[in-house]
Amino acid sequence: MATSAASRRWRTAGRYALLVAVAVVVLFPIWVMLVGAFKPGNKVLQDPLLPTSVTLDTLRDAWRDGKLGRALVNSTIVALIVTVAQVVTSVLSAYAFAFLRFPGRTLLFALFLATLLVPFEATVVVNRETVQDLGWLNSFQGLAVPFLATAFGTFLVRQVFLTLPKDLREAARMDGLGHLGFLREVAVPLARPTLGALALFGFLASWNQYLWPTVISTDDDWNTVQSGLRTLSQAQIDRPNLVIAGTVIVALPIFVVLLVFQRQLVRGLTAGAVKG
Amino acid sequence: MSRRWRDLPFAVAFLAPSLLILSAFVLYPLGRAVWLGHQRCDATGANCRSNGWDQYVDVFRSEEFQQALGVTVRFALLTVPVGLALGIALAVLADKHLRGIGFFRTVFSSTVATSVAVASLMWFFLLNPSVGVLADWIGGVAKNPGLLRDEDTALWAVAVSSIWANLGFTFIVVTAGLQSIPAELYESARVDGAGGWTRFSNVTLPMLGPTLLFAGVVLTSRAFQAYGEFDLLTGGGPNGSTTSLTYLVYGNNSIIKNNVGLQAAVAVLLFVVLILLSALQIRGVERRVHYGN
Amino acid sequence: MSVPPHMQRRRRRPVVAVVAVVAAAGCVLLAACGSGRSILEAGNEPRPTTPTTTPATTVPGQTTVPGQTTVPAPTTAPPTTLPRPIDSLPPCDMAALDTAAADGPVEVLFWHGMANELGRELERIVGEFNASQDRVEVRLEFQGGYEQTIDKYLQSDTDNRPDLVQMPEYTVQLMVDTQSNVPVQACMEDIGYDAADILPSALRAYATEGIQWAMPFNLSNPVLYYNKQVFRDAGLDPEAPPRTLDELAEAGRTIQSSGAAAYGIALDSAPDGGGGWFLEQWLAKEGEFYSDNDNGRAAPSTRVLFDGPTGVSLLTALRDVVVNGGGVYVGENPGGTDTFLKLADASAPASMTIATSAALGAVLQFVEGGIIPGIGVDDIGIAPMPSPTGAPGTLVGGASLWITAGRGDAEAAAAFEFVQYLVSAEVQSQWAAATGYVPVNTAAPGLEPLLGVYATDPRFRVAYDQVAETPDLPTSDGPVLGPLREVRVTAAGAMAQILNGADPATALADAASLANALIADYNARR
Repeated sequence: MATSAASRRWRTAGRYALLVAVAVVVLFPIWVMLVGAFKPGNKVLQDPLLPTSVTLDTLRDAWRDGKLGRALVNSTIVALIVTVAQVVTSVLSAYAFAFLRFPGRTLLFALFLATLLVPFEATVVVNRETVQDLGWLNSFQGLAVPFLATAFGTFLVRQVFLTLPKDLREAARMDGLGHLGFLREVAVPLARPTLGALALFGFLASWNQYLWPTVISTDDDWNTVQSGLRTLSQAQIDRPNLVIAGTVIVALPIFVVLLVFQRQLVRGLTAGAVKG
Repeated sequence: MSRRWRDLPFAVAFLAPSLLILSAFVLYPLGRAVWLGHQRCDATGANCRSNGWDQYVDVFRSEEFQQALGVTVRFALLTVPVGLALGIALAVLADKHLRGIGFFRTVFSSTVATSVAVASLMWFFLLNPSVGVLADWIGGVAKNPGLLRDEDTALWAVAVSSIWANLGFTFIVVTAGLQSIPAELYESARVDGAGGWTRFSNVTLPMLGPTLLFAGVVLTSRAFQAYGEFDLLTGGGPNGSTTSLTYLVYGNNSIIKNNVGLQAAVAVLLFVVLILLSALQIRGVERRVHYGN
Repeated sequence: MSVPPHMQRRRRRPVVAVVAVVAAAGCVLLAACGSGRSILEAGNEPRPTTPTTTPATTVPGQTTVPGQTTVPAPTTAPPTTLPRPIDSLPPCDMAALDTAAADGPVEVLFWHGMANELGRELERIVGEFNASQDRVEVRLEFQGGYEQTIDKYLQSDTDNRPDLVQMPEYTVQLMVDTQSNVPVQACMEDIGYDAADILPSALRAYATEGIQWAMPFNLSNPVLYYNKQVFRDAGLDPEAPPRTLDELAEAGRTIQSSGAAAYGIALDSAPDGGGGWFLEQWLAKEGEFYSDNDNGRAAPSTRVLFDGPTGVSLLTALRDVVVNGGGVYVGENPGGTDTFLKLADASAPASMTIATSAALGAVLQFVEGGIIPGIGVDDIGIAPMPSPTGAPGTLVGGASLWITAGRGDAEAAAAFEFVQYLVSAEVQSQWAAATGYVPVNTAAPGLEPLLGVYATDPRFRVAYDQVAETPDLPTSDGPVLGPLREVRVTAAGAMAQILNGADPATALADAASLANALIADYNARR
């Protein structure tokens, strides 16, 4: 069937053409950003699409003026703390909701779900007061503690636990496994892909926090990358591309994380995380 | 001891960490905000006194709240359907075993690496009438004062930035959803003589139901709580055309910026809107989504 | 197995459902209810009714006499603010520093909002101060800008506030109402500080109710930036830039018709630029008050006056500059750079703009880098801010230094010790020469490096001369309003509409009524 093979070839070529076209559109802003970041400030207005002159000066200045080195360290530490804690707290509470029976379970779970709907904006002012009263302004505690638990994670992990066959728990009980043992040896390993996805989402959400770090730090040593960028975005008349260089520095580590974990993320989500 | 009580100690221990954090940093501040919302305080947030619970009603009906709600709803309507459609399109396009498909998948998911601040600052650069490339290309409308500075286009411009920034997330989620669709379904559809489009609309979309629900809910809640985009791209302007509810609460150019009582009232009302919205979403969607098991 | 029929029915539903739900929720909510009232009037307390503003019925183009005020005759005796006794305010004991410094330097935490070049120059000055003596150690913390500084100061309790904070000129009433400061006057009196060298108008800007609350530090005002090369190309005299708005429009038309540049002036509507701050400046130049009760300095203001005949004719003239005077409106300019970038626009550049003098140093660096092809540093001209009638003078802009009370006598005293250093003639000379700010110390221009800068580059002098030429009138002291920043936002909204072609009288009247509601609400919450 020569015609069918030919038409299939054409179709594949067409798909490639489409893929390339879409990739160009998606990458276009990134390309412009890269070109801008590597240009000296005075050449930014000319040929914005072509790297006509290349320098590392702008990146270096952005690194220095935005104190991005310190900000990267802060963001990384906070994001790691938040990620680990969210996984742990989510697993524990999800286990309670999925496998334990106790009075008020439904009500409590509804309460958990309700917190998903509370916009962060509704709590910021009071949370700042709380953190101030605890003496946690300008500290890792202040940046991380409010995010150590999430109803989203609880919900996600509970969904996975619910898909585990009931007799698994019974069999484990026969084997003399307590709740902790069952959690550690059966439930968590089975939920691993989902936990990976949850961890990655938690990391990204923490890394991308914008409002909170600007609200609770009064010392730019406690800037995270996002609040550092905000500082960089203040009037820079003589170097319009300084902030663009800053965005490159900030986006790069996440891009690497994504490259490394992309497959896990997709697998984690495939494994039922997003099934209702 | 009955079964009902036997697990209690474990439950308390397992739930304590989450409960503690959520109570202290979500429930308590929400309660405080509800209380503050009927008060008026001085600029430092002190000397509060009651202004009557009807303050909520009046705030809801006020011109500023209604305008901000309109902006927020329009922003969601602009970003969520388009974002979902693009995410599906890209995921389907890349859901083929072709040589080099991994590269394209990486490209399509790359915008996940950009935060709100990164994406906003990039688009600010692209859309600036003096510096930006896009402004030059779009010409006419984009010039003087520029898409972001024109009352008629500013919200659209912010929406484009937001759709682009969320594209990677939607792509990844939908890709995962596609991969969990059993291949036999496609096979049987093929055997029945279904063409590409029929297979897409009869197999792919229905099987993606839960995935799309998830992505839609996340995108909607992001749209309703978007703040950084407005803060960095437009400052709520021009003339309030991008003052969303969140910007009304926190923005530098909000007229209730140093007015804790009114800020709390707006924030709580945003919460109420979100509750109504998700109640509707869940009710509307539950009846229609095929859960696959 | 074929595709189950129930699946066929359900195609695309989730998307549709989400959209429909969002739409339905929005429509229901929106259709329900708008009351058409401002959010500021929410609640059951009868709020003070906002005074209705006199409808502005000026014929466009009608000139107003400078000095003519539009305050209607009060029906009752005007309320006056009595001078506050200094004893009723937190004291300043400068001797406490001597005692404390015996055990080592006293640390002063200083919050500021100076970004980039300005911030680096401030760091340098602080470094020199710390190295020059061992009684006081200043620790500088950048808050990200004025707005963030204000937010964080207001939200923090005494323990988390700094010992010294830099606050912009529009926060005077807001700061006074926090009741959280040691007035610098207390420290000045304690040691008999001689303020004779400090610019009197700058001091007055931060004094109300007979109290000198804060010490002026960085003083700026708006000036005209223009591209001399474009002026030459258009056949205009590059040494005679426009002084009135009519001349501005005329020059713009000449530039446009000659093809020397696409536009004359680039105007913005930023609250802290063209939309709000400049409006205060223009009204003052025309001898008008911005708000009643002498700009809030005789008694608390109850309403704004920018919607009067002078405001309307001013905005009408500005609109004409954009509509048929070769001007271009660049929007709200949130980063403060859009007007300057418009001068460097590769395809359709403007040739003039009005902006703060504090940007001068940065703008010259910007141009020196060659960002506008063919334009060198010397091609940038600086001139006084054009105004309706070309009247000289300016309001004090910039920021001042406030000492926080309740953080210890030694800390307050140490903060004032540092304040004295910052406003000394030597430091002000360096600061002004590096940045373009106007020195607040009248002896500074007689000292190097500013002496040399003013002699060799008169552009740096323009803002200083604007201050020196300011007439000695009550209207030359800027407005004192608790919600001045928010009022600016409302004025900026009106400006944006007007520069886009709206009717000035209507837009200003709407903005004024919102501004009046802001003032009433603030005064009720105080």
